Formats: sequence, structure tokens, C-alpha cells
Amino acid sequence: MKATAALATALPEGQAPRSPRWRPALRQTLIILAPFALFAIFLLANGVNPLLLYRAMFVSTFGDLYGFGEVLIKATPFVLTGLAAALPARAGMINVGGEGQLAIGALVSTGFAVFLLGGLPSWLGIPLMLLAGAVGGALWAGVVALLKVKGNLNETITSLLLNYVAAFTVGLFVHGLLKDPESFNWPFSPEINWTLRLPIIDGTRLHVGFVIAIVLALAVWYVLGRTRLGFRIRVLGGNRLAAERAGMNVSRMQLWVLIAAGALAGIAGMIEIAGIEGRLRPSTGVNYGYLGFLAAWMAWNKPLRLLLTAFVLGMISVAGNSLEIGSGLPSSSVHILMALVLFFLLGSGAGRKVKT
Amino acid sequence: MIADILTGALRSGTSVMLASQGELISERAGVINLGTEGSMLGGALGGFAVTVWTGNPWLGTLAGGLCGLLMSLIHAFLVITCGANQLATGLTLMFFGMGVTAFFGRGFVSEQIVGFNPVPIPLLADIPLLGQVLFNHDPLTYLSILLVPLLWLLLFRTRLGVIVRAAGEREEVLLAAGINPQLVRYAAVLAGGFLAGVGGVQLAVAFTHSWVENMVQGRGVVAVALVIFASWKPLRAMLGAYLFGAAQALQLTVQQSGLPISPFFLFMLPYLLTLAALYLVELRQRSRMPEALGRVFTGTSGG
Amino acid sequence: MKKRMLYQSMLLLIATILLLSACSQPGAEPSGNAQAEGDNGGATSADDTNAGGDGDAETAEAPGTGGSAVGFIFVGARDDYGYNQAAYLGSEAVEEAFPDLKVLRSENVPETAEAERVMEQMIRDGARIIFPTSYGHLDPALNVAKRHPDVVFYHQGGLKTADNLGTYFGTIWEPVYLAGIAAAEMSESGKLGYIVSVPIPQVLLNVNAFELGAQSVNPDATTSVVFTGSWCDPGQQANAANSLIDSGVDVLSQHQDCTKTVIETAERRGAMSVGYHADASSLAPEGWITGSVWNWPDLYVDMVQTAIDGEFADSEYDGKYRGMLADDVVQLTGYGANVPEDVQALVEEKKAALLEGTLQPFLGPVRDQSGEVRIAEGETPTLDELEAADFLVEGVIGSIPK
Repeated sequence: MKATAALATALPEGQAPRSPRWRPALRQTLIILAPFALFAIFLLANGVNPLLLYRAMFVSTFGDLYGFGEVLIKATPFVLTGLAAALPARAGMINVGGEGQLAIGALVSTGFAVFLLGGLPSWLGIPLMLLAGAVGGALWAGVVALLKVKGNLNETITSLLLNYVAAFTVGLFVHGLLKDPESFNWPFSPEINWTLRLPIIDGTRLHVGFVIAIVLALAVWYVLGRTRLGFRIRVLGGNRLAAERAGMNVSRMQLWVLIAAGALAGIAGMIEIAGIEGRLRPSTGVNYGYLGFLAAWMAWNKPLRLLLTAFVLGMISVAGNSLEIGSGLPSSSVHILMALVLFFLLGSGAGRKVKT
Repeated sequence: MIADILTGALRSGTSVMLASQGELISERAGVINLGTEGSMLGGALGGFAVTVWTGNPWLGTLAGGLCGLLMSLIHAFLVITCGANQLATGLTLMFFGMGVTAFFGRGFVSEQIVGFNPVPIPLLADIPLLGQVLFNHDPLTYLSILLVPLLWLLLFRTRLGVIVRAAGEREEVLLAAGINPQLVRYAAVLAGGFLAGVGGVQLAVAFTHSWVENMVQGRGVVAVALVIFASWKPLRAMLGAYLFGAAQALQLTVQQSGLPISPFFLFMLPYLLTLAALYLVELRQRSRMPEALGRVFTGTSGG
Repeated sequence: MKKRMLYQSMLLLIATILLLSACSQPGAEPSGNAQAEGDNGGATSADDTNAGGDGDAETAEAPGTGGSAVGFIFVGARDDYGYNQAAYLGSEAVEEAFPDLKVLRSENVPETAEAERVMEQMIRDGARIIFPTSYGHLDPALNVAKRHPDVVFYHQGGLKTADNLGTYFGTIWEPVYLAGIAAAEMSESGKLGYIVSVPIPQVLLNVNAFELGAQSVNPDATTSVVFTGSWCDPGQQANAANSLIDSGVDVLSQHQDCTKTVIETAERRGAMSVGYHADASSLAPEGWITGSVWNWPDLYVDMVQTAIDGEFADSEYDGKYRGMLADDVVQLTGYGANVPEDVQALVEEKKAALLEGTLQPFLGPVRDQSGEVRIAEGETPTLDELEAADFLVEGVIGSIPK
């Protein structure tokens, strides 16, 4: 919501109430507005009128159902890869591997969809495909988890390195086993059967994947906050020694938390295939893992907040298209705006409190 | 053929090696900087641009180092002064680096430079095998090799090194000695950014003589991984970087041999080898992470 | 305290940005152009978006007519001495030829459903003609084309078409074949090198044409092919170039989106270059042999004119249009200073035969690496068959995934 206000630049600073109670709100508003103000200077320096541009960006995302749907589409994978980062973070681990877990999830779910599930009715095929994606992501995260538990290898680094391996693995398959025989030898998988495509909301490209993402975010929130298991995870994240003294099997918990995270990212991969792409390509979902990671830290690794931060990142990504088409600025400018927003959030204390 | 692979190891490993030495300094002081990728990009563009304007690659090196330093200044400020999360800030810096350099680098894509070229060292370059592998490189590569023992001396044999390491291990020692640990960390992160920038310069001005958008292509990320592989020891980080370079050269050689192996499998090779090496090193001896870093990874510390 | 920090961080970022903008002055010319476009850009796009929202004024007129803009989407950045540069030059020609049409461009558009979003946005901004210029943009373009029957799509290189989507391409393998002849004539070792990205048909077709050209003058000539896995990674390109030269290759060609690094590396190491996508002879005054390039401007202008006139349907562009050497859509560049007269004469002679149709580069028998005959004796493959190449010819060293 704050970002909305920021986009419209609707809140002149001077009118903010002086009462001390409003200080935090004022500060929050400033933190959201500042990157846009800075970026405006940058735009002016490049001869683009920032107000017109911000307005165009705002209209293209909130102007109608279509634009709004685009934002939700874009935010959906960020929510899931964000959860894949947030859940291990609450258990004291850093998973930067959402990128690779998403890719392998997409690969495995496409493989199942193409070779096994094509003839099934939707009510059976789609859940099975979702399961395949989850298993794919979980397997990939399982490698990280095993290396951590058995080899004592730091999960941050292994998950990062495995992202590259995952990308090449997808390449290996779309150029080989999974290549569409009717693609004239272009590197992509066959199209999955229409029965496996997620239902789409009329007038948009929006599919029900975002509902799945919201449900999973609620589930993670519930497990973390309301169950014994969640309590144990948070204890582990808070103090490993305390967890060991309390008799927890730390290794086993770490293993399963990472695997669960991988499954979440893998589902994101499945949703990209079944909801949007319809087939696997070498570049499906590139950067979604990293952006989800950032969304998670912006949200202090809290699942419900993550819904909001993923939405904000989705909005900036979508608005970025109109930024480029409308102003002639190169596509890379979107990264600058996104990074500025994140710098201010990070610098202002978001993500500092890792556990609560 | 072995000589070709070893030569290739130095050629393509040097930029990664410089960045990993920089990251090592920073991590020794307790700050992990995933934004190394951004610093390398900044260095590559800055170095290339100044070389274009002045025609002098040495000025380019200085400028590239400074651009890398400026990038890492953002990291240092947010992490040390504001207490932001190190990993998230570093990752953001990576995206920032991609965006900023792509934007300002547009005009340089088609520029030509003279840059650094291989300078064979007289006599030594004529030694069979060794001469080709070690003594026929660009000046930055020679300097980077000299840097490693110097850095080792600095970190482990001087008072300055003790101070840097204390910042990453026990800052109460520094406080007792009246030294501000935050200042030490700033210095370490900036030094790291400078070296990562020079690594970028090596890639752009010495190795490829080119600038294109996002040309670092994950080398900065690998550099960060290598520091952990190296258990925070400069000589090992150098070995790791050359191993990564050798794997790159090896996969190219295998491709030219015509063996029926999918190139995509070969592309994975450098990353898989790095992982395997990490695993073996860890198996032989549990590496001890600087304490402050350990807190970052377990999430009990912000800055 | 917090406020001070905020203030400081703002100052810092302003300082950084100012510093970097100062850094960029001499390179300012291209961004100077962007400025001019930018001013209109912000304004028009805002207005158009509103207009689009008011009423989806879908007329029954011919597709492609009545638009206020033409959209171009590129898979990479424009200044790369390569594929995107060539297409960008075409878009500039359109800009010049149709002053009333606004040219909308989007670079670095990934080959995923993301491209659909960009095309939808362009249509909302008034475009009725769209050029998706990379092979991976085809499926997204087909999806968007289905939703917008009033918009004409010209896809570069595609093999599928629709009522309002035509594809165009050039038979670049013709000049590549000729360049292979020149390369084999110039090479002393008979070992040629080809640096490519990923094994897609366009790439395999070019490598095959190059090797067949080389074999036609030197039966023992080999072409070593090296995959980099990326369309533009200078570090990997330099690695590959050095590695090939180390193994005795003395002529390098490539199929990459950015071509500068390989050519410059070859030049520095004393090897010769065959260019691709764009004329880069200035980068290699010593070693430049020749190169194969695209010539899009005239074709793009003609395609846009056809669509505006409402004549897209039943024109030569409504299906698969393939411009050939004879149509001047693909070209062989000039020769390097060190290419002797007799080599030039030989290549020109073959070129004339190619233009006449008496020379067919892929006339069978053509064998693949395993020695199996893939094109039977006396047969000439169709353009469609060529564009679906999935093998490397005998004499090429390197392997592709099966």
C-alpha cells in the first residue's frame, strides 16, 4: 500500500502530522519515497520527465484488470522462491538456491507432464504435476542439505554454485531428451497437454497459481507460528546450542527444512510451466530465485509480509516494461530502481531482525 | 596439451583470483560481500572507460579499482553503519552493479582499446613448458601472482594483519587497544572492493579487451565461493581460482577432441569440480570460519 | 540518529550516481539520442495507455493498419557488433522512413512469456506492427497474435506462421559457404575454428555450410567447433579463441551475438578472422578475410509499408519469407587487405555461380560426422529442411547432444 502511495507521489512531506506518534509512519513513507525521488533525479539527468513516467508506470499496473493481473503473475514465483529463502532463514540457514531449485522443479514437472501425465484429466494431472515439481526442487535442495549435514559444507555457497549447474542441466535436457520432436530442433520441450494448464481468469493472463502461492504462504505462516514444529524451527534458528540441549536432532531438522524449501521453489517452477509458459525453455524463470530471496529479506523472512514485498517487486518488474518502452531508457534501468528501493529498505533496518 | 590447459588456467582464472583475494580480506574482517560481482562489473567498466579515454591501461586499472571500491562502499555503509543484512545487501549490490554498469556502459560496447598485452619475460619465457605457462602473460597477471604472498605476509606476519583478523574474530581486543573495529571493517571491505575492481579490469582490459553488459557472468559469485573453499587462506584461494580456470580450459579442450560428450555437461564441470574440491577440503580438515562471519551465516548478527 | 543515517545514505547515493554520470560523458552520444526519444516517450506512452483503456477500438480494417507505432523487441543490447545491432539498424531505417510512426524498442527481452508482456504493452502503446527479432520470441508472438488479430507480427527466423504473423529471414548460409571457401584458401594449417553458442539449427547450418565451402577447395580442411553456452560472454569467447589457436587453428569464425572479442583476440594472436552479423574489418586490419552480414533496412521498410497499406495478407511476407543472397538481404562483406587477388577472384566466381543457381552448397551426397549419408546423391534439400538441421557434416570436429 505504501508503495502505491509512493508511485502516485501522493504524500507531500510537509503535510505529514507532526505528532511523535506518527514519526515511524513518516519515516517509513520517506524510506519508500526516497528511492523514487533519487531515481527521478537520475531520470531528469537523462532527459525523461519522472512524473509522467511514474504516472505511466502506475497506470500500466493499476489502470485495469489486465495490468493488475500481470503484477500478480510476476509476483507469484517471487512468493514461492521467497518462502524457499524465508523458511530456512528462520531455522538459521541461508538458501540462495531458489534459482536452481525452481529450474529443476520446472524440469522435472515438465518431464512428467510430457511423458506420463498428458492423458490424465485435470483434477488428477495438475496435482501430480505439482507434486513432480515439488519433488524436483526438493531433490535439488536435498543435495545442498546432504552436503551441509554430512560434509559440513556451507549451504549458502553450495546452493549458489548449484544454481549454475541447474541452469546447464536444463540446457542438457531441452537440447537432448526433452527436446520437442516437432520443434525443428529448437531447444525447448514439447508443449504440455492443455488438460495440465492451470485455469486462467478471463481478460487477463492470470492463472490460479497465485492462489496456490498465497495458500502456501499461509501454510508456512501457520506452521512457523502456530505449531510445535514451527516452534522448534524457530528455536533452532535462534540458538543452535539451545536446540541441541533441548534434545533436538539438529541435522535432521536442517535436512528437512532445506528439502521443504526446495519443494516450495520447485512448485514455483511447475507454476511457471503450467500457468504461463506451457513448455520448458532454457531461460524459464531466470532470476526469479534471486528476486525471491530479496523479497524474503525485505519481509524479514515473515511469510505474510512476504506477500506484500513480492507484490512490490512484481510491480516494479512490470512497471519496468513501460519504463523501457515509454522512455527509451535501457532495460537495465529497472535494476537500478529496484536496487535503490532495496538499499533503502535494507539500510533502514528491514531484514536486520532475522528472528523474532 | 597439458601446457595449454595450465596456461588457460592462468588466463581465465586471474580475474576470479584477484576478486577472491579481495573477498578474503573482507571476510577476514568479518564482512561477506556477495556484491563482489557488482564490484567486478564496476571495475571492468571503469577500467575499460578510462583506458578508452586516456589510452593508458594503468590509469584504467586505478580507475577500475576505484569503481570497485565505490561499489563496495555502498555495501560497507549499509552493512557496517546501518546494520543491514550482509547477504541480502550483497545480492542487491550485484543487481545494482548490473543495472548501473549496463546503463553507463552502453557507449563503450563498440570501443576499441590497446589495453594490456602479454609480455614474455626474457629468458624465463624460453623454459620449455613452464615458460609458456607462467612467463607469457599480461602485467596484471604477474602482479596478481606477486600479490598473493604479499597478502599472506600482510595478514599473518604484520600488526596490520592482526588488526584485520581481530575485527573478524574478537573485536573486544581491538576495543581494548583503542582501535575502532568498524573502521577496520570499512577498510577491509573497501580494499576487497578495490581488488575485485582490478579483477574486473583484468577481465575487460587485459583478457578480452572488451566491455559488454553483464560481462562478469557469475565470476564474482565463484570468487566468493572460493574463499570458503580456501578456508580464508590466500594461497589456497589462488589455487582454487586456477583450478576453476583449468576446468574451463579443460572443457574447451575436451570439446575439440570430438569426444561424444554433451557440451552442457562440460559447462557444468568447473562448478562441479569446485564443489568436489570444497567437499574434499572440508573432509580433510574442518575449516574455521572467522567468528563474526559465522554469526552472519547463522543469522545472529547483522553487521 | 536514524534520520541522520537516512540523510547520509541519500547523499551517498546521489554522490555515486552523479559520479557515475560524470564518468559517462564521452560515451554520451547514444544516450543523447535516447534523451530526445525519451521526452516524447514519457508523454505519449501515458496518453496512449489512457486511450487504450477507454475503448478497445478494434476495427474491421486490415491488420497492421491504423497504428501510431511500430514495436521492435530484441533479445540482447543494441551495440554488440552483432545480431541485435543488425536488427537495430533495420529499426532505425523504419524510424527514418516513417516519421509519423513512433518506433518502440525493448532490448534484452528474454525468450519466455515475458516477451508476451512486452508485446502487449507495445500494442497498448499504439503499435499495430511488431517485430519480434529472436527465434525464442516466436511462441510468445503467436500467443499475442491470436489475441490481437488487428496487429501484424513479423518474426525473425520462425518456422511457424499465423493469419497475422509472418516470418522473415535470410539465407545467411550462402555467404557463410563462400566465406568457408576463402577461409580454406587462406589457412595454412587447414584447421579452421568456429566459436558458437548453443547447438540450434541456425548454428549447425552455418557450421556445415562453412565446412562444406572449405572442403570444396581443400578436401582435408577441418572445422573445430566450440560451444560457449552463452550468446555473449567475452571471457568465455576469449578462452575459446585462445584454446583453438593453441591447438593449431589459424582461421576463426563464430556464431555469437557479440563478435568483437573473438575477432580482436584472433588479431592479437596473429590468426585470421571470418566475421558474422556485421562488418568488423576495422577490428582486424591484418587478419580479416571476409564476413557474412544481414542487410535488414530495406526489407524492414518494405514490410512496414506493406502492412500499413493493408496488403499484408497475400503479400510475400504473410508466410515464410526468406531473403537470399540474390535479394541482397544477406551479403558477403569486402575482403581484408591481405587476401590475394586470386582468392578474391575464386570466391567471386563461386558467388556468381551461387547467384545463377548453378552452384548448390548442400547438393548431395552430404555425410554427417559418423559417415552416414544425410543428403542423398544428387538431392538438394529444401529451405525448410535446411533450417531444421540436426547434424554436423563430416570434417567438423566437435559433438552435439543427441
